[in-house]
Amino acid sequence: MSGTYTPNNQEEISQFIYDSYQANKPLEIVTFNSKPIGRSIQCSQTLDLRKNSGVIEYAPEELFIKVKAGTPLIDILEILKSKKQCLGFEPVDLGYLYNGKSNYGSIGGVTSCNLSGPRRFKSGALRDHLLGFTAVNGKGECIKSGGTVVKNVTGYDLSKLLAGSYGTLSVLTELVFKVVPEPEYAETFILYDLNPKKAMEAFSVAMKTSLEVSGACFYSKKNTEFLRLNDIDSSKSVTAFRVEGPKKSVQERIVSLTKIFKEIKEKTVLELYQSNLFWKITANLECFSNSQNLVAKISLPPTETAGFISQFCEDDIMDINNKYFVDWAGGLVFLEINDKDPSYLILEKIKKFCKEKGSHITIIKANDNLRRTGFFVSTSDENIKMLAAKIKQSFDPKSILNPGKIYAGI
Amino acid sequence: MSLIMPEPDQLTLDNSESIIADLRKISKNVLSEEEEKAVYETDGLSVHRQRPIAVVLPETTKEVSEVLKYCYQNNVKVVPRGAGTGLSGGALPLKDSVLVSLGKFNKILDVDFDNRCVVTQPGVTNLSITGAVQHEGFYYAPDPSSQIACSIGGNISTNAGGVHSLKYGVTTNNVLGIEMVLIDGTIIRLGGKNLDPEGYDLLGIMTGSEGLLAVITEITVRILKKPQSVRAVLIGFNTNDDAGNCVAEIISSGIIPAGMEIMDKPLIIATDNFAKAGYPRDVEILLIVELDGTESEVDTLINRVLEIAKKNKASYNRASESDEERLRFWKGRKAAFTALGVISPDYICMDGSIPRKKLGNVLNEIASLSKKYGLAVANCFHAGDGNLHPLIMFDSNNAKELKKAEAFGADILKYCVKVGGVLTGEHGVGIEKRDLMCEMFNNDDIQQQLSLKKAFDEKSLLNPGKVFPVLHRCAEEGRVHIHKGKTRHPDLPRF
Repeated sequence: MSGTYTPNNQEEISQFIYDSYQANKPLEIVTFNSKPIGRSIQCSQTLDLRKNSGVIEYAPEELFIKVKAGTPLIDILEILKSKKQCLGFEPVDLGYLYNGKSNYGSIGGVTSCNLSGPRRFKSGALRDHLLGFTAVNGKGECIKSGGTVVKNVTGYDLSKLLAGSYGTLSVLTELVFKVVPEPEYAETFILYDLNPKKAMEAFSVAMKTSLEVSGACFYSKKNTEFLRLNDIDSSKSVTAFRVEGPKKSVQERIVSLTKIFKEIKEKTVLELYQSNLFWKITANLECFSNSQNLVAKISLPPTETAGFISQFCEDDIMDINNKYFVDWAGGLVFLEINDKDPSYLILEKIKKFCKEKGSHITIIKANDNLRRTGFFVSTSDENIKMLAAKIKQSFDPKSILNPGKIYAGI
Repeated sequence: MSLIMPEPDQLTLDNSESIIADLRKISKNVLSEEEEKAVYETDGLSVHRQRPIAVVLPETTKEVSEVLKYCYQNNVKVVPRGAGTGLSGGALPLKDSVLVSLGKFNKILDVDFDNRCVVTQPGVTNLSITGAVQHEGFYYAPDPSSQIACSIGGNISTNAGGVHSLKYGVTTNNVLGIEMVLIDGTIIRLGGKNLDPEGYDLLGIMTGSEGLLAVITEITVRILKKPQSVRAVLIGFNTNDDAGNCVAEIISSGIIPAGMEIMDKPLIIATDNFAKAGYPRDVEILLIVELDGTESEVDTLINRVLEIAKKNKASYNRASESDEERLRFWKGRKAAFTALGVISPDYICMDGSIPRKKLGNVLNEIASLSKKYGLAVANCFHAGDGNLHPLIMFDSNNAKELKKAEAFGADILKYCVKVGGVLTGEHGVGIEKRDLMCEMFNNDDIQQQLSLKKAFDEKSLLNPGKVFPVLHRCAEEGRVHIHKGKTRHPDLPRF
């Protein structure tokens, strides 16, 4: 048994994993190969899930959609759009990051990475929208958890655990997602030329109001040239706030934001079309389109972000100049690290910062060498790693599913 | 009712005196007298009572760690307990267990408006968190009806919901971090003031794990800014079907209300008598819909909801004109359980979740079961998220009635599963719904959950006998799912 196996359905997936379990043969799990994320793994077998595809049930009035995990995410988004609904976590298209063009990949792949877009800080992560699943564990057994209802505490909430487990615990075969109505209308309020510290302060001010900002990001002035939108002046730093809802309410809240930031002279408002475009570009990390360097995301308490930026992203005095942007109202930094330092000393420094400040770093793009030898997530607590190893074993006792994808040796 | 719990360990029972003495070396708060332990012999599911060997009330994480480590090394079972308000028996002690109460973990540690979060000890009540931040216009969103008494640690254990979870999520969507102690005494911190911890989502699996995986000693929750405007509308109907259709249509029209609750006639009358909420008494079923946002948004949405109600033959409607009036609308609903206590000596509260469109069907089924069992029932629902709380009334002085009430409750939950729902929406499985787990899960599903439990608690010392049927129970009831006529791993224990 070697090479790529492309089963047609859950039963065939289950049989293949059962056989692999019996034969002690590890396997790498892929669907469209759209996201080279996580540590790289070498297996003689590849399990390709693209044929396990299709919508099983879509109930717009019940606010859920049940799909096979190999379904292209783009197909799901189109089906939801036809009923004016969407996935609340604002799915991310990492195709730009890896290959310079759109490729959402499969719903199972996105779920395995727990990828959530700019709306995350308001509406929750992908894992908050996953209501239930069916999967095949490392012994070839079909298991399920959750259901189609939003309130459910029957047994352990395995949906949370499998979202973001990078295919190391089970192979997802069917997924149920909560869906939400599309926002009726949206506009984006922009402040120009703030330095990073002032921008983080502006986020804090806006987040303490009841204006229900649903997107808040910052691009430094050295990283705005790719924002080719008619209504944006891309020669200055951009601090953006998105407001969504019924049109009248959106416009009232934009007026309120304008009043709050009346001291700041340079500002503008993006109307619906440009606003939607702006947040799509942001969600899809288009500023790193086709990047040849390492790209990482760092999740921080918002109050630590300005300090992080001056230490690792941008500081004129210290001559630090890495390409980055800030999302989630100051809670997330995407940072590109130039490959000129092959030992990546900076990564160790960032890890140390993260440990001290209650943050963490995840490498989302790296060269093959680093993916083989380096870390993927910055977990430093050995007790957590030990627990992770036991959890892995409880689903996949012979460690045949994507072994070593998150942590070396687990 | 005879409740099958894991067989008490005779050695532990024989060593009770020395266990108590050893625990006293770790903590100064060890209760071992019968009258002291009586307070802890039951929780919100008071039909079951059992006193443990001892009750320990540790004051620090280190003490919790030492108590657990001691119990781990000496094979003593541990039952964690928050405020003891849980309705499914999750904190019921075992005869050979040590009960660890987090009652002394009652301080809020940090209120951080800049990072929009609160760091708290687990024994703090749900409502106190809002109390600590409301002067700045913030609040903690999950609001179970027992919020004045239930602890935030208990909320995490059961993944508690509330009336506003349709829009603002349940506990799991609002927790950022925890500190927890494993049964062997290991202290682990997960998450914190940032979002989405890396690696496996241990925070997600801990939330709703009913005290079976670890003991929580510190919690970070996110807080939200109060909306600019909140209004509620009361809508009355003459039939279950009209009310059910109205709920479905509100949701499918794209409106996500902050809360949407249903009460049937017995509860309308009981709560209105109790709380003077001003409910209409000539309707069969009453819907409360709350909407929030900016003023103009709320006004627009209220009008849309009223239009939908009219289309679905509503016989009564009233929108709140002031915040006092809105709070009065809620006062009745929030007092539902207390109000029912006035009219019935005992009741049990069920907690199934169903697809919204089945609301009418399920209400009709409950009515016919009520006739079959000869027991009265009152219903309240979190209609927006399909979570129903039928309250079955009985008299515990009549042993037959309790048995009948429990069978009636089980039939309701089985029906919920049959129409595509689940056994418990927010109260947890505990001991109450434990033996119904096989209605929803097959043997492989349950074995996987048990394997996960072993990853945290290899010796199964933490809160045993809860959530999962005790050994062999499913098999005895003939519910083991056999795939293609064979079981795959005959060596594994089966239910």
